[in-house]
Amino acid sequence: MKPKILKKRDSARFLDKLLREYEVFAPVKREDLVVFGRIHSGKEAFLDYMNSKMPPKEMLFPQLEILFTYTSIDDPSKIETPPSAGKPRLLFGTRPCDARNSLLLDKVFDGEQYKDTYYRDRRAPLVVVGIGCIQPCPTCFCTSVGGGPFSREGLDILLIDIGDDYVAQVVSDRGKKLLERRGLEDAGADKLSLVKKVIRDAEASMTSEVKIDGLAEKLAEIYDDPIWGLLTEKCLNCGVCTYLCPTCHCFDIVDEARDSGGKRIRIWDTCQFPLFTLQASGANPRPTNKERLRQRFMHKFKYFLDNYGQIGCVGCGRCVRECPVNVDIRQVLTVLSNRLEVAP
Amino acid sequence: MGPESNHWEPKIIAFLCNWCSYAGADLAGVSRIQYPSNLRVIRVPCSGRINPFFIVASLQHGVDGVLVSGCHPGDCHYLSGNYSARRKFALLKSLLEFVGIEEGRVQFGWVSAAEGGRFAEVIARVTETVRTLGPAEKLVKR
Amino acid sequence: MPDRSERIREAARTLLRKNEVELVIGFEGGTLPLHSTPCFIRKEGEVDRLVWNSFCDNNVSKYLVKRQERIALVTKGCDSRTVVELIKEKQLSREQVIIIGVPCQGLIDRRRIEGKREAREILGAEEKDNQVVLKGAGWTDVLDRDKYLHSSCQACTHRNPVIYDILVGEGVEEDTGDSFSDIAEFGTKSPQERWNYFSHEVDKCIRCYACRNACPLCYCGECFVDRTRPQWIGKTTEISDTMIFHLMRAFHMAGRCVDCGACERACPMGIDFRKLTRKLVHDVKELYGYESGTSLDEVAPLATFQPDDPEEFILSP
Repeated sequence: MKPKILKKRDSARFLDKLLREYEVFAPVKREDLVVFGRIHSGKEAFLDYMNSKMPPKEMLFPQLEILFTYTSIDDPSKIETPPSAGKPRLLFGTRPCDARNSLLLDKVFDGEQYKDTYYRDRRAPLVVVGIGCIQPCPTCFCTSVGGGPFSREGLDILLIDIGDDYVAQVVSDRGKKLLERRGLEDAGADKLSLVKKVIRDAEASMTSEVKIDGLAEKLAEIYDDPIWGLLTEKCLNCGVCTYLCPTCHCFDIVDEARDSGGKRIRIWDTCQFPLFTLQASGANPRPTNKERLRQRFMHKFKYFLDNYGQIGCVGCGRCVRECPVNVDIRQVLTVLSNRLEVAP
Repeated sequence: MGPESNHWEPKIIAFLCNWCSYAGADLAGVSRIQYPSNLRVIRVPCSGRINPFFIVASLQHGVDGVLVSGCHPGDCHYLSGNYSARRKFALLKSLLEFVGIEEGRVQFGWVSAAEGGRFAEVIARVTETVRTLGPAEKLVKR
Repeated sequence: MPDRSERIREAARTLLRKNEVELVIGFEGGTLPLHSTPCFIRKEGEVDRLVWNSFCDNNVSKYLVKRQERIALVTKGCDSRTVVELIKEKQLSREQVIIIGVPCQGLIDRRRIEGKREAREILGAEEKDNQVVLKGAGWTDVLDRDKYLHSSCQACTHRNPVIYDILVGEGVEEDTGDSFSDIAEFGTKSPQERWNYFSHEVDKCIRCYACRNACPLCYCGECFVDRTRPQWIGKTTEISDTMIFHLMRAFHMAGRCVDCGACERACPMGIDFRKLTRKLVHDVKELYGYESGTSLDEVAPLATFQPDDPEEFILSP
């Protein structure tokens, strides 16, 4: 299918049409924050944004998810699982890094070994329309971790901003179905050459680079290096980096019981909290900052690679922006790499 | 049961100190003084023992009103437990009302072991206030 | 303020050389515009990393607790007040720390600047006199520094460190008393309006605990939110849980909070914590005449009492 033109001034109306068929989630402005939320009118979508505060991970893996509720402790028929969504869901306007991320989450929640039905129920019908980044943030380092400002991985349609219009490129059959019969005109040669220019310019403007090659093998070697203690000294061990991370996927399961009823919930958890690894005996295998922050790096750049063949980072830069004490993942990785070079 | 059903009765939790207010309640009982039956009493050693969490957790678990009652100032069995408690409660009550918890949802009183009548009056007053406020909605965990 | 940076370095150099301290905790330049970041200096040769500017917005007294070594700490007015509280709470001995006090001219609220710029990325920022010069791709913007101070700095009445061993630079003029007009004004709203406001604020909470962890006075071995027996609050992001978390976190700060604003600056979601903590700061001052972190001798208000403390709130049937 040929790329189509979606005029920016028509985008709200275009979304209104899609709203008849889909539950649409798009970036919206809430006070100073840009977050993903369900929209009920095309006008609510705020598409002229850098990146959202929170990744749209919540669409697939919500922070709080009720697994089941029960109203009797004796009668198994009183167990109820939450109803599945009605209309198919459409995620509109996501950044390519976040879209790519869903492929990483797939490996965890829908891999060969484990299949998470809650995740799959959300994931399978999800249609994803992304907007390429014509102006990557200075904190973006997607190109260092295998992505790019116009990466198509995980997308069904990629929109490319060429000024007054978006050029819509179809990535998957599902995307094709969405775009068919919408009355959008084909993009002409002039527009397509603009696309090439826009992509070239954006890729050239990427300023952040992180060295990832060979990192995993070397991380294993420096597991006990004292450098970890120095790198983590200022870390507050809050959950900002992990809770704002599209890739982080650790969770806790909690039973909230009251009288003879209750619910079992799944809730995000993070390796940065001491409680995450606290054992019933009181022992904690990751007792300090050092072990906890190291775990974050080991998981992303070694264990995830070992388990799934890819690193667990898409380079969105949220952790870089939002860390209260400016622990910068790019800087830490650079220090680690340099450390390795001087090691025997 | 909501206020729309006529059967709604406020559920009130009362933390009573062992030495004064609980004895005051006892005296009200043996003196056959009538007071509303809406309260559930929890006996504590001293009003100073009340962790503010007791109060907030009660509201979270769905009570409509909380009363904390201890010895009159100067009468504390442990000399100063109620003095310490008073500062804590003054700040807590002010904070809860500041965020919009209705005034009267959480109340504090002094009742001595000799004040059976006063105990009944306090309970009547608290119950009526909470009844007027209706069921507690805020802070309740669904 | 380059002279202050230089004088901090000098002080640190001397202290490390004479072996009076093993560690200097201060700030160094961050990796992003408008950021400085805490740094830990142990060698004389590294002191040139230390800087001072309006982006030094962490409360570094956070790093004093549970350390054994002798430490020199670069402190602003608010940081010095939390040091006072930490000493009073016996988390630190006065002898363990050498306070390099910096009279503070207020910190820049980076989020307010970033919020104004929207889709224009700031690539560089520097301070000149009383201005902040922002640079982006093909644009420059000059802002009046004082218009972008953090809200806690606007309300600050202790810009000069309340205790110090070495003072870096001239003292700055203090504002006369905090009027707490924001708290009074908010108090005039109806309970429902106030509830709606706070519900809206805490609804943003993602339970990352950055507020708690950024607070120098949050040092409990086990936080109430982590307790399981009894479990005081649930782990969810439901309003009931998040509201109680923020209420009780604030309440735990009663009579201790110095309104440094570290919690608010740490919050990625922009929750207005200071409404809560300042309410308590206000009440503690009004009811018990106590201003936290200003005196090493005064007893904390919730560790003492007066027989004639106000008790209008007590029910009289």
